[in-house]
Amino acid sequence: MFLGIDIGSSSSKAVLLDEEKRVLAEEALNLGTGSNGISQVLEQVYSKTGRTPKDILYSVVTGYGRNVYKGADAQVTEISCHAKGVTHLFGEARTVIDIGGQDAKVIRLDGEGNVADFVMNDKCAAGTGRFLEVMARVLNCDIYRLSDLAAKSLRGTQISSVCTVFAEAEVISQLSLGSKVEDVAKGALQSVAKRVCGQARRIQVAPQVVMTGGVALIPEAVHMVEKELGEEIAVPGSPQTVGALGAALFAWEKYHR
Amino acid sequence: MSDYRALIQELEAVCSNPAAAVAEEMKRSGRRAIGCVPAYTPDEIIYAAGILPVGLWGGQTDIKLADSLLQNFCCSLIRADLEYGMKGTYQMLTAVVIPNFCDSLKALCKNWPYGDTGIPVLGIAYPQNRIPAAFQYLISEFQFFQERLEKLTGTKVTDEALEGSFGIYEEYRKTCREFVKMVADYPVTLNAKTRHHILKAAYFMDKKIYTEKLRGIIEGLKAQPKEEMEQFKVVLSGILVDAEAYLDILVNNHITVVADDLAQESRQFRTPARAEGTALEKMAQRYMDQRGCSLIYEPEKSRGQMLINMAKDNDADGVIAAQMKFCEAEEYDYPIYRKELQKAGVKLLYVEADQQIEAAGQLENRIQTFVEINR
Repeated sequence: MFLGIDIGSSSSKAVLLDEEKRVLAEEALNLGTGSNGISQVLEQVYSKTGRTPKDILYSVVTGYGRNVYKGADAQVTEISCHAKGVTHLFGEARTVIDIGGQDAKVIRLDGEGNVADFVMNDKCAAGTGRFLEVMARVLNCDIYRLSDLAAKSLRGTQISSVCTVFAEAEVISQLSLGSKVEDVAKGALQSVAKRVCGQARRIQVAPQVVMTGGVALIPEAVHMVEKELGEEIAVPGSPQTVGALGAALFAWEKYHR
Repeated sequence: MSDYRALIQELEAVCSNPAAAVAEEMKRSGRRAIGCVPAYTPDEIIYAAGILPVGLWGGQTDIKLADSLLQNFCCSLIRADLEYGMKGTYQMLTAVVIPNFCDSLKALCKNWPYGDTGIPVLGIAYPQNRIPAAFQYLISEFQFFQERLEKLTGTKVTDEALEGSFGIYEEYRKTCREFVKMVADYPVTLNAKTRHHILKAAYFMDKKIYTEKLRGIIEGLKAQPKEEMEQFKVVLSGILVDAEAYLDILVNNHITVVADDLAQESRQFRTPARAEGTALEKMAQRYMDQRGCSLIYEPEKSRGQMLINMAKDNDADGVIAAQMKFCEAEEYDYPIYRKELQKAGVKLLYVEADQQIEAAGQLENRIQTFVEINR
């Protein structure tokens, strides 16, 4: 059995694979690096499968917490892991857009599961899940409800500030001037889409485009990216655990090498 | 055989505590010290005046005071220099020399007196063109600088002293060129961090003494068998890579810096001077001959081909464009050489960072991925 662990900035994920690379269990919890999220997630995948850590032949850890987690056999970056996971799920994929808690990455694949090129946002939180969390807080709703709100909007509010902190102030100001909550929600999702697509264009987007990470769980966010990019986007059944899946696939490969 | 390990340790200690190293040298030699702001300054003239030139390449400081005089879209190196000046770290300096290679440096030169540092400024304006008139202008600018230096310090710079100083600096540059070439053969001893520390120590020492020590390291290492290591070889390009967190990432990923095009490192010594002329003429001509530097206008745009050659000649796995955040000169060069490197099939990673790195997670992600996909 092979274990892939992804300790992100705002969530922890784990995937267990069998010898035939079939997923035995996959779990995600919104507790990231620095928390006990990973212990809880591991407990969940073990209890779900009735296995124990002794059954693990090889494990790989990825994500921002990969350097501090000492329980894995190897560590690989999440860029390589997302590329690996997506290629396993979508053989024709050539572009991966992964929007996580604190960063957004666009990865170009070479057709054989390898990373041909990649771009990331800098340390600014614009265009990331954190930006949407801040917007959701201002709108007093859950981040996933942004999608429902945005779907009701006919015209999104323009959010001109790139910086998350300034954008928060801008949104508060717009709400006080009478902007509708639905329009602001749509504006927030549009802002993320524009930012990420701007990044994506730097490395030449090619179909099939696959979106991973927590933000891919927000249907309207995916829709906005599709619209902005002019490409249809595929979303895995469990977009949050694709990095952990890639890590588990690396574990399988490293064990059999 | 020289004890090269002890010499490396000595230079690393200088690099880890520059203020102490400068103070010690001032005490030992009885000389004053003058700070030299990047990227190029006429250090030979300062040295000939019997004064220790000290490189002011910013550092890992919390920038607070400098924000009152420089906007935060000025690069972090320049802001750090002003911060150190304003908080008194540079108090031992008789003056600072500030050249004019970018708008932020010009602003630093103009605003420095308003920072209450108590340290006078000697500005110097290098020409941007390479035409004969620019060569003549630079000689006159050096002479003007020399006059102001003499007036400020009350010391006369003789032609003889200047020739001697120039010879010491040429020997230093030649030795550095030899040193950086041997890194690929000794990747364990000269890992990315140690290599940088050794080169950086030169800014805080008498160049004659430094060169002797560097020569000792070279000779000591040459007597050792070449080192084997599974390594990822890179060429670094940009202004500098000097944050310990940054260097740790390179070391942890087994990255060897087989060559560099950094303003803080090889750009200082990669161009040898010509043999003919007076010391000032040779200094001016050396500047005219400098190629592939973002800070000096160059219609031929030779940087791309230069990086391609550096990568191929040193069997590098890739080039890291170490972009200093808000460095316009470097930003403008990047799209030009990126296209050339891509065409030549040279792997290139662009990473942007401030000099002061607080959270290295994203930086590490980029660099580690670059190694993973190109190993």
